[in-house]
Amino acid sequence: MNLPTAERSALKTGLGVGLTFVVGLTFTMLIPSFNENWSLNTLNPAGDQAHYHNPYTPQQLRGRLIYQREGCVYCHTQQIRPLEGEIKRYSIGTSLAIPANEREYVYDRPHFLGTRRIGPDLSREGGKYSDDWHYSHFYYPRQMVPGSIMPAFTWLFKDHEGTPVPTADARDLVAYVQTLGFEREVYDPKTYTAANGHADGWGPWLKPQDRQASQQLGENAVNRITPGEDHSPVRGGGEGKTPADITTKP
Amino acid sequence: MAIEQIKAMQPSAPPERLQHEDTAVKWALWVGLGYLIMFGTLGVITAVKFVIPDLFYSVQWMSWSRIRPAHVQGMIFGWLLPIYMSMFYYMVPRLCGTKLYSEKLGKATSIVWAIGILIATYCLLNPMNTTNIFLMTKGKEYEEYPLVSNVFLLVGWVMLMWNLCNTFARRTYTQMYAALWYVMGCLLWTAFVYVIGNWPSQLFSTDGVGGFSGLNDANINWFYGHSVVGLIATPGGLGLAYYFLPKAANSPLYSHKLSLIGFWTLGAIYIWNGAHHMIYGPIPYWLQTVATIFSFLLFIPVLSVVTNFFGTIRGEWHQLRTNVPLKFIIAGTVFYFLVSSQGSFQALRSLSAVVHFTDYIIGHSHMALFGTFTFYAYAAVYYAIPRAYKKPLYSEGIADWHFWLSFLGFIVFSAALWVGGYAQGQMWNDPNIPFIETVNFMKPFWHARAGGGAAMLLGMILFVWNIYKTATVPAPPASEDEIRVAEGRGAAAAQANS
Repeated sequence: MNLPTAERSALKTGLGVGLTFVVGLTFTMLIPSFNENWSLNTLNPAGDQAHYHNPYTPQQLRGRLIYQREGCVYCHTQQIRPLEGEIKRYSIGTSLAIPANEREYVYDRPHFLGTRRIGPDLSREGGKYSDDWHYSHFYYPRQMVPGSIMPAFTWLFKDHEGTPVPTADARDLVAYVQTLGFEREVYDPKTYTAANGHADGWGPWLKPQDRQASQQLGENAVNRITPGEDHSPVRGGGEGKTPADITTKP
Repeated sequence: MAIEQIKAMQPSAPPERLQHEDTAVKWALWVGLGYLIMFGTLGVITAVKFVIPDLFYSVQWMSWSRIRPAHVQGMIFGWLLPIYMSMFYYMVPRLCGTKLYSEKLGKATSIVWAIGILIATYCLLNPMNTTNIFLMTKGKEYEEYPLVSNVFLLVGWVMLMWNLCNTFARRTYTQMYAALWYVMGCLLWTAFVYVIGNWPSQLFSTDGVGGFSGLNDANINWFYGHSVVGLIATPGGLGLAYYFLPKAANSPLYSHKLSLIGFWTLGAIYIWNGAHHMIYGPIPYWLQTVATIFSFLLFIPVLSVVTNFFGTIRGEWHQLRTNVPLKFIIAGTVFYFLVSSQGSFQALRSLSAVVHFTDYIIGHSHMALFGTFTFYAYAAVYYAIPRAYKKPLYSEGIADWHFWLSFLGFIVFSAALWVGGYAQGQMWNDPNIPFIETVNFMKPFWHARAGGGAAMLLGMILFVWNIYKTATVPAPPASEDEIRVAEGRGAAAAQANS
């Protein structure tokens, strides 16, 4: 029989297998990785960095680790697709949510883009609810959102004279969740059209007034959020629940 | 190439009969079967928690978001890969016409692998509550296993490669049958993919947290995640089917040439598909488009495999009534065609806009890993294990129940998720519907999914029981022909030989 040699050579088969792999790897992984908007500083040094949000504080970084450990990413995405339904659903106040942008992830290690929305997207979640709302929700989600199927994270709380009190883990986690979306620019709903939200990520939202509005939004969120011992229920957004509610045993 | 030549290449007519020990086959088999029950149970708990979210609500290590990755990773690396190893130990020596290089090395590989999976699962469930990056989940889908267990799995895989490559090197047949190509592809691609997915992001790290940030991390994650299915599960599973389909049907492979086209296009195309997991995501437009185009090119390897398999059982369909391995392979091949077509069309922006992030995708991914590759693995075990133990299968009836529970359970499971997921996706695109209403809408579908999943688990238990009894019930050693007669396929075999 006159067979091609490759069919008789294990070595040549192996080389072929390796070659197909390297070609695909080069085009889909190595070349895109030189995208200057994907990296932090090495390819796109300071100056026109256009940081879309500030680096995480040590507490927020610890919060990310808790987010990672508890597997939040399996139910919550962190990317808004440039689809009309999505930017309206995840709007911030009266402003539409901007679609996900390449640069907003540069500080995320690991990424939490997610693949499944068993719960809603979280990438514009910061400042929407108070810290206390989040504590109550983490302790027993169904008391805040009837019908929710989110797991209760009771181990993020410790018992203090019969009352569950958030541990450092819970405070770090909420500190991280409250950063999501702030200092990320929002669209002006008056000028937004579906056409200018396009998928390669460079939307026209770097207008000064938008940036200002966004910063204001972020500052509001920051000023209301002082995770610590003080849980005064002054922050908006919740359902009028106060810390007393988290004593409710599920 | 003439039909006679192709027939002459069939492994079903080896020139002489070697006596194979098959110890390595058995060890890897039991690792796989044990983990099948363990991670199958975790999977059903995952599904039940959709219906009863308060189930074990205060038990930290039973939290939904911890057992979910333990189930997914466990099914791929704890069940599928050990069973692939076991079947490779079975078929590679037979296809090479030589004994396995080292049965002892095979046993050691199984032990290393089993320990690696056990440590990894313990770390994922994380009862020690750590945020130490070497012990906790990496937090990225399909690459959750922490670095400590990556070491075990990598060492185990290198041991497997050493063993099988040495067997290849000692082969007495010069011709390499298609299944051997797929085995070799699986061995090499798994090593490449596993290393790229798990190691660089940790090794380039300066502070313990992953070294790549943001979209680089996401792109590598999906390059890896898609390749786990496309370049680990697929070549391994197809290798099994290429060997066990002609064997179980006692019918020569339809076309050698098609199998080669399928193999090389699989290798050249699958690797380009990772980015279709981020259609409409924050990655560049061109990268998404490339992924969409290559998703459609996947029809080439898929159609070549499906044509080849259906061609192989041409004229043999009557065997499906009684031949359990054949039932699993043919059902698996139908699912393979469906899941691959689904995958191509999901990469279209218009469909992705609706079904991305919904339960539709969960139904889709289960059709690949359960409906196709687990079915192939079931078939391989049903065919190979009686021969490895030199005893007929304990019960063909139980095996039949196993097939129908798996098949119908899976139909219920996936159909519920496809219908519900598509509708939920449509509801999400209407921002006036509150999110929680779409959750409530899904609940009946989640009930159906849990029911289908429970049937699939029951099938797994029957399967393991059947294999356990086959291995342990005392019986005098049966010959290949006696096993064939016990399988109710004696007449067909006699006809074919006459």
